[in-house]
Amino acid sequence: MLNYALNRVLTLVPTLLAASFLVFMFIHLIPGDPASILLGDTATPEEVAELSRELGLDEPLWTQYVLWLGNVLQGDLGTSVFFREPVLSVIAGGAETSILLATMTMFWIVVFGVPIGIISATRHGSWVDQATSGGAMLFASVPTFWLGLYLILIFSVGLGWFPSSGFPSLADEGGVSNLRYLVLPSLTLAAPNAALIIRLIRASMLDVSREDHVRTARAKGLHPVRVAIKHVFRNALIAVSAAFGFTFAALVSEAVVTETVFSLPGIGRLVVQSILRRDYPVIQGVILIIVVFYMAINLLVDLAYASLDPRVSLK
Amino acid sequence: MSVPLSIALVFRRRALATFGMCWLLIVGIAAIGAPLLAPFDPLEFDPFVRLSDPGWPHLFGTDHFGRDSLSRAIYGARMAILIGSGSVLIALVAGGLIGMLSAYFVRLGHLLMRIVDVLMAFPALLLALVLMTLLERSVLNTVIVIGIVYATTTARIVFGMTLKLKRDVFVDAAICSGARHASVLFRHILPNLVSPMLVQASFIFAFAQLQAAALDFLGLGLPPEVPSWGNMLSEERIYVTRAPWLLIFPGALIILSVFSMNLVGDALRDNIDPRFKNDIAGV
Repeated sequence: MLNYALNRVLTLVPTLLAASFLVFMFIHLIPGDPASILLGDTATPEEVAELSRELGLDEPLWTQYVLWLGNVLQGDLGTSVFFREPVLSVIAGGAETSILLATMTMFWIVVFGVPIGIISATRHGSWVDQATSGGAMLFASVPTFWLGLYLILIFSVGLGWFPSSGFPSLADEGGVSNLRYLVLPSLTLAAPNAALIIRLIRASMLDVSREDHVRTARAKGLHPVRVAIKHVFRNALIAVSAAFGFTFAALVSEAVVTETVFSLPGIGRLVVQSILRRDYPVIQGVILIIVVFYMAINLLVDLAYASLDPRVSLK
Repeated sequence: MSVPLSIALVFRRRALATFGMCWLLIVGIAAIGAPLLAPFDPLEFDPFVRLSDPGWPHLFGTDHFGRDSLSRAIYGARMAILIGSGSVLIALVAGGLIGMLSAYFVRLGHLLMRIVDVLMAFPALLLALVLMTLLERSVLNTVIVIGIVYATTTARIVFGMTLKLKRDVFVDAAICSGARHASVLFRHILPNLVSPMLVQASFIFAFAQLQAAALDFLGLGLPPEVPSWGNMLSEERIYVTRAPWLLIFPGALIILSVFSMNLVGDALRDNIDPRFKNDIAGV
């Protein structure tokens, strides 16, 4: 297991370096001089010349990359053109919303996805199963922004139960009750993902239920519920827990659309607004952070997977 | 058993999948016959009938420019088919080639699959967003970007499947009888990958619709004047309280099409080599 973990971490390093190189190249692929792109339209020629020197723009590309990577490792991701603030602090401003949104979304996915998936698998072939797994597929086919707009229309405009947009920090007035701003966005984001989890739980449980140990459990007269939970679901959980991890990692970027619909001050909306504002340093910074986060979560999932299922690390 | 015949058998016992197939056929007909079927010009402004209710002669109502929604929806079918089949083509050809070659030529595979790993380090929507930032908004660029995003997953899936096939006796037999690499790859291995890749294609087609709609919504997909279902939603969303039907029709069209394609993919998946069943990432 330790060998496997070390191996996984070591193979990740070149991938991470290559990915960071692509992110670095982002500024260079945009037509125009990188220094003036980083400073925006309002920069004076002196400022541009100053930054060109700092970035080493007359040096070879790989020297520039090493300089940039050195800065990044010291937490310097450049300065936002729009906010005139360090990119890192701009991104940090959206972190609270994004993390809370992702956590709340995962909560709905578990609360709705797990029981429905189990019921669908244990009633395999019945109308309950057909309705739930067909319904899940339908939900996986809904564009998230469309669902979000109609949830706003019904629950904010129509019934007035939840606010339709924005999110004040938990530290602001209202405290924990401000979470109500995230109820509709998190449900929107959860719907397609919960649908995928339901389908996955169903498929993995059906796979496991064909195995010998399940037949033994049934044959010795165990209660069907006990068989379903302790013998089938626990084994299916290995694949499912990996899916939870991947889903969580993907939520941060999928939230781009949801955060835009609900005007949430999160990292996802920051990306979109920065693209529209041509605030390239922020785009670059957000991509880098999301990629590192995404890879870190995927690594943790792999390690958790290997510790749950010892067969993986022996391969 | 031939592929078309076995596909026909799959649909005989699945009412929902047959429904999905029929709906896709309707979308296809609408796409081909759009100029004949559409009652109005999808691009023509008519300021006198802005945001009119569904009724005669505007069955789906009109948008805030007074354009006929039904005609735009019919022309939108063209975009749906174009984006779906375009990204499927790019994803399958590029991803399929990379996956097969990587699995067959081990050394080349080390290099190519590392590149795929690097691209997969970017979450799908983020990768699409970043690429669209670098490119101009156009139909072709949208198709290319979505195609590239799904080429990475396809490459990894095909890589896994080709590795499994490579261990089979028939591959050894082909090599021993003196077949050249190209012949082993394309005449012996590829035919075994056709049905799983067909399943993969239907899921990519479905996901591509959702991705394209999301890009349209964020203002980074098709140019805004192009009549696509995603653009219809994106442009009219501020009028949702005044004219809710403007979002219901294109939304329902997207959902129905994606759902249908998923149903078809799900039905086809039951029919493929059981060894490959868990390789395909679908719904």
